[in-house]
This record gives sequence, structure tokens and C-alpha cells, in this order.
Amino acid sequence: MAPETIEPTAPPLRAPSPTPTYRPLHALPPPFTSSNLEVLTQGAEALVYRSVFLTPHTPCVVKYRPPKPYRHPVLDRRLTKARLLAEARVLVRCKRDGVDVPRVLGADWEAGWLVLEWVEGRTVRGVLDGWAERGASVEEGVVGLMGRVGRAVGRLHGIGVVHGDLTTSNLMVRQGERKEEGVQGEQSKGRMTTSEMRMLAEDGETPSFPSVEAKRQEQRDELEGDIVLIDFGLASHSTQNLQDEDRAVDLYVLERAFAATHPKAEPLFQKVLSAYGESFKGARAVLKKLEDVRLRGRKRSMLG
Amino acid sequence: MIALGLEGSANKIGIGIISHTPTKPPVILANLRHTYNSPPGEGFLPKDTALHHRAWVVRLIKQAIRQAKITISDLDCICYTKGPGMGAPLQSVALAARTCALLWNKPLVGVNHCVGHIEMGRSITGAENPVVLYVSGGNTQVIAYSANRYRIFGETLDIAIGNCIDRFARTLMIPNDPFPGYNVEQLAKKGKNFIELPYAVKGMDASFSGILAAADVLAKGLDESLPDEKRLKTEEGELVTKEDLCFSLQETIYAMLVEITERAMAHVGSKQVLVVGGVGSNERLQQMMGMMARDRGGSVFATDERFCIDNGIMIAHAGLLEFQTGVTTELKDSTCTQRFRTDEVYVGWRE
Amino acid sequence: MAPSSPPQDTTSTPPRPQETATSQPPSQSPPAHIHTLTLPHYPTHPIHLALFRSVTNAPTLRSQLLSSNPLFDYAFLDATVLLSPTHLLLAAQLALHAHLTGKGKTRTPHSELVFRLHPNNNIGEAYRKFGMGDESREVLVVKFGGLGEAVAAEWVGKHLGEVVEGESVRMGEDMEEVAMFADVAKVRKIYKLGEGGAKGKGKKGTDVNGDGKARDELKGMESVILGMMALKGS
Repeated sequence: MAPETIEPTAPPLRAPSPTPTYRPLHALPPPFTSSNLEVLTQGAEALVYRSVFLTPHTPCVVKYRPPKPYRHPVLDRRLTKARLLAEARVLVRCKRDGVDVPRVLGADWEAGWLVLEWVEGRTVRGVLDGWAERGASVEEGVVGLMGRVGRAVGRLHGIGVVHGDLTTSNLMVRQGERKEEGVQGEQSKGRMTTSEMRMLAEDGETPSFPSVEAKRQEQRDELEGDIVLIDFGLASHSTQNLQDEDRAVDLYVLERAFAATHPKAEPLFQKVLSAYGESFKGARAVLKKLEDVRLRGRKRSMLG
Repeated sequence: MIALGLEGSANKIGIGIISHTPTKPPVILANLRHTYNSPPGEGFLPKDTALHHRAWVVRLIKQAIRQAKITISDLDCICYTKGPGMGAPLQSVALAARTCALLWNKPLVGVNHCVGHIEMGRSITGAENPVVLYVSGGNTQVIAYSANRYRIFGETLDIAIGNCIDRFARTLMIPNDPFPGYNVEQLAKKGKNFIELPYAVKGMDASFSGILAAADVLAKGLDESLPDEKRLKTEEGELVTKEDLCFSLQETIYAMLVEITERAMAHVGSKQVLVVGGVGSNERLQQMMGMMARDRGGSVFATDERFCIDNGIMIAHAGLLEFQTGVTTELKDSTCTQRFRTDEVYVGWRE
Repeated sequence: MAPSSPPQDTTSTPPRPQETATSQPPSQSPPAHIHTLTLPHYPTHPIHLALFRSVTNAPTLRSQLLSSNPLFDYAFLDATVLLSPTHLLLAAQLALHAHLTGKGKTRTPHSELVFRLHPNNNIGEAYRKFGMGDESREVLVVKFGGLGEAVAAEWVGKHLGEVVEGESVRMGEDMEEVAMFADVAKVRKIYKLGEGGAKGKGKKGTDVNGDGKARDELKGMESVILGMMALKGS
């Protein structure tokens, strides 16, 4: 009587032990093989190291895309080369058209490394975290920051480049002089950065802590500084047929990054969008498209 | 506490009975399922699928109760899939749930299908706070838990991964029994030539529709009645086979899934990944995911087909978790919905 | 650049300059100033630089290069097309990396250096644009060390002092002298950069003082050139 395809009762639940894990160290290809480099991040795509390039006192970022063992080697080589070159070419294109991005200093697309200029500063994510910790007040500094973020993204889109992974971690606030719109920011020279203090502390020395006023100034400065767009690993460029759709998805990803990591920063995103809307011809159309993308993204038909 | 779960959002009807005892792992008392298969080259239609579910639901519930060795009075609640899914099959099962609830005077709990998969996966594997890859015929999502919601970090920009595989299989006239993905997987094991297919990842999102368009073109080149020079060949001049295409499809789309999962892991700083949903039973996907997780110093958790594939137990389990926080679904609200996002559910049972 | 670190190959026996060359300078001419550096990640490959102005015997030197005289295993560059020390250093880095990884497009690291400066893959054109020409008066000579036979900076200085008829320019630590003869317009033309190097689209440039703007522009132009060089052949 029992239907034959009915499966038997399952045994009681028990947790199988997950596969044992280890973390292999990636051997860097030449010329970085013997260098003792400091790993900054292990992104999904690339290992990012800090090193020096051309002179012993020129810091740089080495972005290494190790082979992905899970990927078919043909696919892996194709993706590594295509992405490394796409990233580098877009960066050069940005430089050419006056968008603030890191310089490309060297590349070996067979070996999978790219050397980029070191940008001194903090990510917008880090800056916003600090701002949120201090109470997230909607002050001039943070509103100004949002405006600069919007204009930076607008300028990028204006030259036909779509970032492809526009999170708050991929926007940096460059430390030091601010050039945009001729506003001279405070030079942060002479003040210690937190990393310098940490290094001192690790050396067993007592860092001289800045005064409260200096600290406040530093927090204000943190909100100042030019916006530098980084990590163009998924970027694309096209002069023709650049779909507003792609630009809108950039904004949507950024909006989601704001929402996901900074609940207090979400309302501020309006400031980003309004600055973006003024930034280039066609920006309005992208904002219109963003409404569609939001709807589709949030309410996409999902069948079980 | 004991719950009965009814699932029927797609072509499977599943009935499960689960028992929760405080401080002990849940015990599965019954887990039954029956699948509606359409002929090769065809998908399952909502109307026929609903008919199938209606024909099986009573038989399965009776057998589950018998197998669990419980009486109706032991049941604390009836849980059913509220959505997302196909309208007609969802309705047929919701109707059965309502009927049981009224007949036996039990409270109802409407469950989000995706949350069911996630909770079942967590419970079975013991993964505490993983990034979840939910991959099935209708869904492709990368999810991470944050502040009482399962937040969607990445998802498909067009069709679901399972849908892509099913339609790819249909193009190549691969049978639907036991399910297309299984047959594609078996063929892929025999494939050896990698044929380039569109690879489309945008941040943590992915797009699969381009692959179908490419598959249509490639499949034409497999036709044995074509003159030799028109048939699809590799760079080395070898004839491309159906197996090669299945292999290339798997290598491409699973690499995309692993990549967006890895991006989400890097983004939220997690080292664990849990794969749920029907496509999660694919061994190659599990293997690839394992290699990625290992490279990040983490681990992958996957369930076998009893739990990966839609089942009633996961609905009973997630429903009972919700029921224990005091949530029930009133009869007037016991509707179902084709669209029901994972992040709409308030996850009151987690910290 | 780390003046203390470059290995001095003092044990090597310097080969004697050829006696037969027609216009050898008198052997008592003072040695040229040599600036020796090593690039990060290439500690065993010192690079020797010598900068000259008012060079009068470029044609003679070129004939030695063209006849592949083994004593003239140098890169003789036209110093008017070197935009900055970074410009030169990147070319040196790319040349050395290509040479050491077997990916070089030319025979020696010296010819590779000339090639790597050029925006496209035409080697002859690279020599015409970046190599010393018959009319060149400002010349930068580059010698790669650490490749096979040991080369002492001392010997390089002595040899170049003898063969180059011109005024040796002493270089400082920051090597700014590399760019002292730069003809920016000429460089811009070679790399086919429109006015302004980086086009500076969207930059209002309202206030910044003139100097700063020119400097920013030059930096932008340099950025683009470095990128083009790094991506050549891709």
C-alpha cells in the first residue's frame, strides 16, 4: 500500500564533523617571492599586500590573484588575466580622465600580480564606523563627505566606467591635502596616525597621546580629504552602450553597503544621491533607473 | 514539542514530523516526500503539480503519523510553506494544512521556505553562524544573519541556478528523472573538454541567463546529423559531447556561486559556509566550495539530499522554532504567497 | 636610493677599454659621476646611472652601440624624454623583471630598458624615441649589474669618463637630476597624450596656485605614462 518512492524515516539528527581545514600560505611569484610582505586583506579575489616599489621609501599595494584551486585551470587563467588587465586598464583610463584612483605601477598578468600606488587614508566604511561610534550626528563634516562620495561616483560614471563592487570599503578618504573644488584641507602632518602609535606601542614605547582637541581635529579631518575609489577588480568601461542599468546597480550596491553596515548612515545616502544627480549629464536618468533596480532587487519574483 | 510540517512549493510534496526537547538536538520522527516528474524536454506545470500534491497529501500525512508512532493529540502545531514558490502547488498544500488545523484544532504556523532550508541546514550540520548559499530551482541567494534577519548579500540578477540547469538539461534533452540536476551531474563526470560559457558575476550577484542563450547555440552544434565541418569541436579538433557541455556548465556556474559566496564571506568576515537547497546536493559544488573554504581557513557544511531537497521536516523545524517564540498564523492570515523574501521574516529565535 | 646598500663588486677585473676605437678620449680624463641604486625586491642587481650634459661625441658612441661592441653594453638614453626619476625607475624595473623571468622581448636588459620606455611594441621606434641620437647632448647612461659578470660602479665611472665627451652631472639621492632636461611637450607627444596629460575633465581648477596646478598636471601625466608602460604588450 505504501507508495514505493516514499523515502524512509531519517535517522536522528547529528552534526557531521566538517572537513578538516588548514590555511595554506600562498607563495608569491617573482619578484616578490623572497620578500616578507605584510598581508593587508584576503579579499575574495586577491591577496593584498603592502610593500615598496621602485624605491625603498615608496609604499605600494601588491595585489596578487592566486590561482583558485576550485576553478577549472582554463577558466581560472582566463578570469585572472582578464580581470587583472581589466582592472589595470580601467585605472589608467580613470587617471587619464582625471578620476582619483591609485596609479598603476606594474603588472604581470601571467603571474597574477598588479602593483598599485599606496593611498594613505581610511576607507569610508572605517570613517563612518568611527563617526557612528561618536554618536552619528548629522554634522557638516559628514554631510560634506557624502557629497564628495556622490560626486566621485558621478565623475567615474561620467567617463563611462562602472565600478562593479561599489561598497563603502572600496571608497577611501585620502589623508592630507584636499584638492577637490579647491578646498584646502588641514595637513595632518606632524600628528601621529593610529598605526604609527600602534607600531610604537608594539616597540614598547609609550606613544604620546594627542590632546582631546587634537583628537577632535583628527576626527574632523577624517571626514575631510579627497575621495579615492579603489578596487576596480570588477569594473568595466565602455564609451558606447553603457547601460544606465549598470550605473544604477553600482548605486544600488553602494546603498546596500550603507544599509548593511551602517544603519545610522542609511538616511545619509540621500546626500550621496543628490550630489550624484548634479555630477554629470545623464545622472538623473541613472537615479530614475535606480528606482527600478531597487524594486526588482527587493521584490524579485522568487519561486520555491 | 512536536510539529507537523507540510511543504509543496514546487514539484515535491513533503511531510515531516519533528520533536524538539529543550537542551537536546531535535529528533526527526518522520520525513516523507513524493516528487512529480514531467517528461524529458518539459518543465512541470503549476496546475499538474498541484493535482499531484492533492493526490498525495492525505496518504503522506497518514503514513507520517503512523511512522512517527504518535497520535494527533501529540501534535503542538501544523506548519506549512507560506512561500515563496509556485502559486497553485502552494495553495493546495496550504489548504491541506488549514483543513488539518481545523479538524484537529491545532494552531497554524506559516513558514518561509528559504528560512526552512537555512534552519534545517544549521540544525543538521551544527554550523553556528555561517554564510548561507541557498541554491535551488527557484532561488539563488547568498545570505548572512544579522540583527534578527537573514539578510541577502547576493542573489541572481535573473534566473535561479536550478532553473538554469533544468532549462540547460531540457535544451540537451536530458531526462527529468530523478531530477535534471542529478543527470547533468552524472554526465558532467564523464566530460573532459572545457567549453567557454558566459561568466557573469557582479559584486555578490550573479547572472545565469546568458548561459542559456549560449547553450542554445552550442547544443545545435552537437546534432549528429550535421555534416562534420558544422559540428562543434574543441580547439584541438575533437568533437564536443553532451558530457563536455554538462561538465563546462557545472564548472562555470559553480565557480560563479563559489565566487559570490567567497565575496560575502570576505565581506562579513565569516569562515563558515552552509549550502542548502536542492542544488546544494551536487557533489562538485560541495567539493569546489570546500576548496574555497579551506583556502580561507574555514569549512563548508552541506546536507545530504534528504534535507537539501525540499522536504516537510524543514518546514516543521523552522515552524516549531517560531511557534516556540509565541508566533502563530491566524486562520484568516493563513494564505500563501509566490513572492516572499528571506529578509522579510523576523527571526525571533536567534540572538 | 639606499646608497649604502649596493654591492660593490670590487673583486672583479675590469676589462680594458678598446685601444683601437678611433676617437678614444685621453685615458687621463676624470671618471664620470656614478649613481648606483638597487630596486626593491632586486637586491642583487645594482643599477648604475651616469648623467651627462653637453655631450659632443654622440655619433661615435652610437656607432659603438650599433656595432655591438661588448664594452658598450649600456643603455644610452636621450635624457630629454625622461619625465621623472619614477619614469626611469619603472622602465628599469620592467626591463629587469622581463629579463629575469625570461619574458624579455629583446636580447639584453639594456635594450629591454629602451623598449620598456616606449608605448608600443616597435623596437626600432623605441630606439629612435628614447635612445641617444646623433644630435643628443643630454644623455643618461644605464648599466645593469648582477647579471653574470660582476660590474663595479668604479669601473663604469672610469670607462664612461673616458668614452663620453661631455660634462658629467652628479646626481643626488632623490635623483631629481634625471628629469632636469625633460622636454615635457616631447614626452607628451610620444605617449600621445592630449593637452594636460591627464585631461583633467571635471576639474574646475578654480583656486589652486599655478605651480600646484602644473605639478598636479605633471603628476597626472606621469601616472598615465606609468600605467601605459606597465600594461604594454597586454
